[in-house]
Amino acid sequence: MKTESQIGIFLCECGGKISNRIDLPQVDELLQYESCHLEVYPYPCLAPGLEAMRREVQAKGLNRILVGGCSSRVMKKKFTKALAPVGIEKHQVEMINLKDHVAAVHEATPQELARKAAALLAGGLASLRLLEPYEPVPLTFEGPALILGGGVSGFAAARELARQGMESVLFSKAQTPERVLDELHWTFPGCRIFCGDLGELLREVFTSPLVRVMPDQPIEYIIGGVGDYRVGLKQSDNSVTEVAGAAIITALDREFGPGNIAYIGGGERVCDLLDFEEKIGAGDISPGKVVFWVNSPQHGQAAQELAAVAAWRDSLLLARGHFQVSPTVLYPANAVLPLTGADLMEARAQGIGLQSYVPEVHPVVQSGFLSFVSPADNLEHEVEWDTLVVPGAPAEPAAKAQELIRWLPIYPENGGRLQKSHIKFWPDQIPDESLFFTGSAGGICDLNEVLQQGKKAARGVLHLREKALQGRLVSPVVVHVDKDLCEGCGLCTEICPCGGIEHVKPGSGPVPRETDNHLCSGGGTCAATCPHEAIKVVNNTAQQLEARVKAILARMEDHEILSFICGWGGAASAEQAAVKGLTYPSGIYLVPVNCLGSLDPSILSMAFLNGAKGIMLAGCTPTHSCHYHYGVDHCWYRVSAMKKLLSLAGLERRRIAMGYVEVNEPEAFVRMVESHLDTLGKLPPLPQDDKTKARLWAIHATMHHPRVRWVLGTSLRRPNEKEFPGSQSNAVETDEIMLEVLKEEFLAAKILKALSEQPLNPPGIAKVIEEKVELVSSLLTDMAKEGRITLKCWEGGYPTYVPGKAQRLH
Amino acid sequence: MITFNINGKKVQGQEGWTILEVARWHGIDIPTLCHHEALEPYGACRLCVVEVDEGKRSRVVISCMYPIRSGIKVQTDAPRVANVRRWIVQLLLDESPGAPQIQELAKTFGVTPSRFKKTEVDFACHLCGLCVRTCQEVVGAQALTFGNRGLRKEIATPYHQRSTDCIRCGTCLYVCPTGAMEQLFPQVSAP
Repeated sequence: MKTESQIGIFLCECGGKISNRIDLPQVDELLQYESCHLEVYPYPCLAPGLEAMRREVQAKGLNRILVGGCSSRVMKKKFTKALAPVGIEKHQVEMINLKDHVAAVHEATPQELARKAAALLAGGLASLRLLEPYEPVPLTFEGPALILGGGVSGFAAARELARQGMESVLFSKAQTPERVLDELHWTFPGCRIFCGDLGELLREVFTSPLVRVMPDQPIEYIIGGVGDYRVGLKQSDNSVTEVAGAAIITALDREFGPGNIAYIGGGERVCDLLDFEEKIGAGDISPGKVVFWVNSPQHGQAAQELAAVAAWRDSLLLARGHFQVSPTVLYPANAVLPLTGADLMEARAQGIGLQSYVPEVHPVVQSGFLSFVSPADNLEHEVEWDTLVVPGAPAEPAAKAQELIRWLPIYPENGGRLQKSHIKFWPDQIPDESLFFTGSAGGICDLNEVLQQGKKAARGVLHLREKALQGRLVSPVVVHVDKDLCEGCGLCTEICPCGGIEHVKPGSGPVPRETDNHLCSGGGTCAATCPHEAIKVVNNTAQQLEARVKAILARMEDHEILSFICGWGGAASAEQAAVKGLTYPSGIYLVPVNCLGSLDPSILSMAFLNGAKGIMLAGCTPTHSCHYHYGVDHCWYRVSAMKKLLSLAGLERRRIAMGYVEVNEPEAFVRMVESHLDTLGKLPPLPQDDKTKARLWAIHATMHHPRVRWVLGTSLRRPNEKEFPGSQSNAVETDEIMLEVLKEEFLAAKILKALSEQPLNPPGIAKVIEEKVELVSSLLTDMAKEGRITLKCWEGGYPTYVPGKAQRLH
Repeated sequence: MITFNINGKKVQGQEGWTILEVARWHGIDIPTLCHHEALEPYGACRLCVVEVDEGKRSRVVISCMYPIRSGIKVQTDAPRVANVRRWIVQLLLDESPGAPQIQELAKTFGVTPSRFKKTEVDFACHLCGLCVRTCQEVVGAQALTFGNRGLRKEIATPYHQRSTDCIRCGTCLYVCPTGAMEQLFPQVSAP
C-alpha cells in the first residue's frame, strides 16, 4: 500500500461558507505538483456528493481520501460509512477542517487563505502517503473465565456462565455455601434476609461441574490479554502456580468494619450492626425495644441509605422470626429509603417503627432513651430503647485490592472507591467491553445490585465467547511494539492509563512488551515516551506527524507559527471559535493530534529544525480534564525540555508555549492564539545561518536520545503528589537534574554534528562548537566508551575522532 | 436515474435522495434549522418546505425528507412556500426570540414579534434537537435527551443530573446553531 498510494482530495464549498472565503481553484493550482486527484463539490457530504465520490474512487482507483471540509469529529463517520462499499476503510479517510480552522476564523483575502488551506492539505497528503496496510488480528477465546477478588458478585457471574455452558474458576475465601452466608454481613449488612435465595445460588455454583472454586491465594502476577490471561498464585511454600483463562472478572466487595460506638458507651446494650447480625444468626437476641440508629454522617449519604435499608431488613427479620422484640429504625431525613407501599404496610402490620430525624440536630443518647427532632413537627421526641444498634463503618476497598490494582487498570478514586480506568472514549473507539469489574468496591450498593452486576459481567464474557466462536473476535491493532527495538524497560506499562500495554512476570528481566488492543485507548502517550522509539500507534505514527509538519512548514512563511491542538479541549474550542464567529490572525497553522501526550518530543525539535518560528500547544486542563489521565502533563515536560534546549542554543525560550482550554472555552483559545502571535511578532524569524542550523540539529538529536527520553518519561514520578497535585520534593533540584542531562546530551549532539562533517581532534571540536576544550575532552572519553564516536587516528599529539557505528543519526 | 425539475431546471438524482440534497448539489439554497449533514433528517422545524407539483395536484412538503420522484416539479421559492415559511418563522420567533439565527431569518422574511411572543425567555434554545441527535448518532454516548413534553419540553440529562456518560467531546456545542448549548453544557456534563 505504501508504494501505490492514490490519493483523492475532495474540497467542499459548503454552500459558499468555504468557497466564498477560500479561493478553491487556487488551492487546486497550489497542489498540482502533489500528483493527486482533486475535485471541488458543493456538498461532498450529501447523498449526491457521496455518490460522486464513490464514482471517482472507482474510476480513478483511489485508495486514500482527503476531504477538505469541516470538523472531522462530526463528519468523518458519514464519509467512512458511505465509502465502505467501494473498499475505503476508516483509516484511509482523513479530513482537514478548512471551514473552522481557515475560512470562518480569518479575515485575510481568499488568495491568502488558499495558501494556508493548501499547506494544511499538503500536510494531510504527506501523512496519508505513509499509511500502512491494516490487518486486525483474530483472537482465540479458550479456557475458563477467571473470577478474582472473592466478591459475592463472582458467584452470580459463575452461575450465569455455568448455565450457559462456560467453565469458570472462582477464587473465594469461603469454600462452602454456609461459610459464604455466615460471612455475608461483613460485606452486605442487612442482607441476611436474602440468605435463602442466595443460598440456592451458592449451592448451584458449588455443585456445578463447570465451576471450580479455589481458595483465595495471594496473586503474584496477572499477565496476558483478552482470550489468554495467566494468573500466578503464590503458594504457602513460596512457589508460584499458574492458572490460565480466557477472561477475567474482578468481583470485589467493600467490607464493613466496627461501627463508631465508643462515644455512646452503654456496654452490652449498645452494639454495631455487624455484631447484631451475628447475634441474629446465633438466635441470641434479648427481648425488648431495639432501636437501629443510622448515625455517622461522615460516611456519606450512600452509606447512610444503605445502613437504613439494612436496618429495615433486619427489623423485618426480627419481626418475622418472633424474637419478642419491637424494632424501630431511626434514620436521617435526607436519606431516601426505597420502600414501596407494600413495604410500609408490612412495617405497620409487623409493628416496625420507621422514624426520620432532622439531620442538622444530632440525636442525643440518654440511658434508655434517644431524643431526636422530627421533621414533621420540629419538636424533640424520645424513643425508648433496650438495645441500640448503629451501622458499621465502610472500609476502604483499595487496601484490600492492592494486589489486583497493581495488575489491572482499576484505580482508587477519592474516598477509596475503585473505578475502571476513567478514560473517556468515543463509544465506537473501543471494541467490545473486556474489562469486567463488579462488586460494591466500585460504589456502595446492596446485594441485589451486586448480583445483577455479576450476571451482567458474565453476559459480557459470553458475548466475547460467542464472537470468538463465530470467528468475529478480532483485536483492532492500535498500538504495535517493535520487538527488536524494545529493551523491556517497562516505562510504557508504568505510564499506560488504560491497561493496553501488558504486564510481564515479575523478575523476568527486560522482556519486550505486548499490547492488549482490546483495552488500548490509542492515547499514544506510551509511544511518545518510549526511550527507544519502539512503540507506534498504527497509522497515527510519529513519522506521519513528522511528514505532515514538514509539508506544512515548507509552505509556511517566515512570520507564521505552528500549533498543535489536542483532539478534545484544543480541537473543540478551536472549532467552537468558528461556530461563535470569533476571528484571529491567519498566521497560525493548527495541527490536530489525538492527545498532547502523544506528541513525540522530537516533533517539537524537528519543527524548529525545519524553520518554524514558534510553536503553540493547546490541550485540556491538566490532570482533571485530560482524557488520557496525564497526557498533557507528560507534554508539559517535553515543552519544558524544549525551552531549556532553546536557551542552551542561545535562542528564546518563549518561542514555544503551552496553553490549556476546555471544550467550551473558544474565547480562551482565541486569546491564547493572539497572545502567542503577539509574543512571536516581536521576535525575529529563526536565523538561517549554519551555526544555528547545527545547534537546532543538535537539539533534535538530543530529543531522540534514549537517556533524555527516559528522563522525560519518568518526570511524572512524583512521590509527594498524594499531598496535592503537582506537589514535588525539591522542585528546583529535580529540574536541575533534567537540565544537567540535557546540557550533557546537547553537548554530545553538537560534537557529533561537528564530527559528522569532518574528523576532528578535541581542540578542533571545541573551536567549531565554541565550547571549552576541557568540557569537550571529558565528554569525548565517555562517548568513545559508549561507541558513539570512534578514534580514527592520532595526529599532532591529539586523538582524531569520527562518529561511531552505535550512533543513530536522525 | 430519476429526472425531475427544480425551479424550472432539469436535474437528475438517484432513488432515496431527498429534494434538499439534490437542490443543494445544484446550488439552490433552501433555508434549514434542524438539518445537519452528519445526521439523519428529522423534520422538526419545517422551514425547508417546498412546493411539489406531482401533475394532478401540488403540495407543500418538507424537502429534507421528501424523496425525489420522476417527473415532479419543485418550486423552492413559490409564494405559497414563502407564506408557510413566514408563518413558521413567526412562530419560532415568538417561541425563542433570543436565538440569533431566528432573528436573522425574521429579518430576511420581514417578520416582527407578534403579541403572543414569550417575554421571559433568556435562553436561545429552540429545541431543534441537533445536540440530542448528534450525541446519539455521531458520538454514540447518548448523554443528552429531551425532557418533558409540549410547552415544557427541554434539553436535559436523565434525572437532571450531570451525566457521567458525557465524554466531553464538545460535539453538541459544535452543532448547536444558537449557542444555547454553551449555557447548558456545565449543567449537562460531569467533569
